[in-house]
Amino acid sequence: MKGYTGKILKVDLTSEKWHIKSFDEKHVRNVLGGQGFCVDIVYHGVPKGADPLGPQNVLAIAGGAFDGFPVGTGGKVAFAAKGPATNTLVESIMGGSIGPELKHAGYDALEIIGKADGPSYIFIEDEKIEINDASDLWGKDTRVVPETLKKRHGWDVKVACIGVAGEKLSNMACIDCDDRQAGRGGLGAVMGSKNLKAIVVRGTRDLVPHDPKKLLELALHYQKIYEASPSFVEDTKYGTGEFLGWVNKDRGVFPTKNWQESVYNERQQIDPYYWAPKYVTKNKACFACTKPCGKLFEIKSGKFAGVAIDGIEYETLYSLGGACGNPDVESVARANELCDMLGLDTISAGVAIGFAMELYQRGIISQKEAGVDLSWGNAPDAVPKMVEMIGNREGLGDVLANGVKIAAEKIGKGAERYAIHTKGLEPPAYDVRGMKGHGLAYMTSTRGADHLRAGFYAPELVGKFWKWEGIDRFSAVGKGPMVATMENFMCVYDSVGLCKFSRGFYLIAKLPEVLEAITGLKFTEDELLKIGERIHNMKGAFNYREGVTRKDWLLPPRILEDPIPEGVSKGSKISVEEMNLMLDDYMNARGWTRDGEPTPEKLRELRIE
Amino acid sequence: MPKMLVPYPENCTGCRFCEMACTIVHEGVVNHATARLQVHRRNVKLDFPSVCTHCVSCGEDCCVLHCPVEAIKKENGRVFVNQDECTACGTCVEVCPFGVMRMEEKAFNCDLCDGDPTCVKFCPMKAIVFEEPKPEQYEKVKKLLGEE
Repeated sequence: MKGYTGKILKVDLTSEKWHIKSFDEKHVRNVLGGQGFCVDIVYHGVPKGADPLGPQNVLAIAGGAFDGFPVGTGGKVAFAAKGPATNTLVESIMGGSIGPELKHAGYDALEIIGKADGPSYIFIEDEKIEINDASDLWGKDTRVVPETLKKRHGWDVKVACIGVAGEKLSNMACIDCDDRQAGRGGLGAVMGSKNLKAIVVRGTRDLVPHDPKKLLELALHYQKIYEASPSFVEDTKYGTGEFLGWVNKDRGVFPTKNWQESVYNERQQIDPYYWAPKYVTKNKACFACTKPCGKLFEIKSGKFAGVAIDGIEYETLYSLGGACGNPDVESVARANELCDMLGLDTISAGVAIGFAMELYQRGIISQKEAGVDLSWGNAPDAVPKMVEMIGNREGLGDVLANGVKIAAEKIGKGAERYAIHTKGLEPPAYDVRGMKGHGLAYMTSTRGADHLRAGFYAPELVGKFWKWEGIDRFSAVGKGPMVATMENFMCVYDSVGLCKFSRGFYLIAKLPEVLEAITGLKFTEDELLKIGERIHNMKGAFNYREGVTRKDWLLPPRILEDPIPEGVSKGSKISVEEMNLMLDDYMNARGWTRDGEPTPEKLRELRIE
Repeated sequence: MPKMLVPYPENCTGCRFCEMACTIVHEGVVNHATARLQVHRRNVKLDFPSVCTHCVSCGEDCCVLHCPVEAIKKENGRVFVNQDECTACGTCVEVCPFGVMRMEEKAFNCDLCDGDPTCVKFCPMKAIVFEEPKPEQYEKVKKLLGEE
């Protein structure tokens, strides 16, 4: 079996011991790599009822099966643990170079358990493993940390680290590598709870593919396809926010002012067609990405002079922009930079700020309680300030740092009515009242409200994808089986480590020949989708075991009760009947009970122990 | 003047595909540590490629001049290491201003893929271009490397 190192490094921070576990082809045929490896580690490694922020939790890191090899956009690395925001199995995928570097060091996955005595970082250089003191790094931001560690260990080491938000155990803390983030579900807090500030890796070993000549041929073939596609031009010019204007005007599903509106009329400045020509100084890419959507956004003068970020991503234009009624792109960029440096997920942080601003609008919290003028008109000043308060857990920021669900419970006075989340995770930038299947996907996502576990926004916004045509986004009928299938699809994507923006180029049927060139193993499309189904079922079984059941999946009141007030999706909402219809369809398609439990028969069929 | 690899730091996204393609073509494996060019990913603002310029950048021919056994030669504007004569002392690796003289059992460097450089083929952003040498681009990279 080529392409894999066949080894998993397990580090126990409590005992400061480590050992290497081997795996064989059977493991690959079960869970493939990347997310699959991570889910397997967490599923088997975390005891029932374990505190997500306790030493029993396991943090897993694994590059996808393609990661480290020349496959365009195939450089994704997965992180996973039991997440503190949702109490579910949370995996988060990013394009940082720590995944391939771990493989070069000799490990397909890294498994971290226990808790270090004091601030620490793990240093891995091939077979040399060290747990080093990180006292001097504690309290430092995600730019200072890699800079310091690269000075210490050489410019070529790869660093994944947390910011202050992770140290302070925020439910929205992320993990940073190469200025990209494993953002969702609070995995940064899991690192923080283990006193683990950073992971530093240098690998010098060869990665050996089965058929290098074929691999290079395929790489060139797909490179030509990328470069000839319209999305290549759009992504490289405007980044992921390219379709922001279209989502607003032509689809009317851009959640605004904490989801009170779905068209952001003041969006002129946050549209990349405005800001890209003005502020973007360079393109940025994930590891192995030859179709870059990353942008270096620099502010050279004025109040926010000096801001430099890899962004602004579509999701962030929503969360720190539209969701907070913040029309000032420089303010959004500064808030984005603060999130990155403090180590906060921009989606959750922005939605939490928008939530607080609506509470302020409704008189549930006062300016005195907030410590900041949270009126919509003051958004450009309030949003960056609130990000700092959340990251540092100051005042109202301390309450919001746990996410809107817990914050609403603490604030009371009816605040729950305005907390937009499922399973305790804040939602991304698609108003699911006007895209009902995507609303189902927010409920079924194993890590809480999420757009990428099923990626169902694309089929519904465009009306077609893969084997489906004529998809009606306003209909709840037939969405259950489609969402289940797309979740399996995406589990495969996250396990080979392909960017989801490539799913128009690489349908699952295209993956076997790439996998064979790397590993020498033959797979069929059906086998891959079965692996995807297995991975999703492991997550489902884990979540059910942790007591997260159908009652926790449900959509928040605003989506069920308040129709979209204006724009082309005006009047649309998801009714309770539609929600239940979609959930029932989904459970049937999955072979799960009505309550969301993967049945023993299903688990046996998928050979999940 | 024959064509040479020319680095454009301002275009580099830091994806490092060129490094992977380089060793896949030459050795059939991926190894950034032996790629004949290097992508430096320093911080959010700065990614840049460092390539073998075959010493057209300043004409000093550091590796050729410093090799104690004269195993490194320059012919037709191309620097190459005579594998039979190399003693793997590492002097050339130390003196290369671009950090792209590499060492395994013996020293080796970029061979320009016989005139059709793989790294260039895989860089859609034109961060490495095969063209007339551009001294000002080499100086840019040398300056950036000096800061490390």
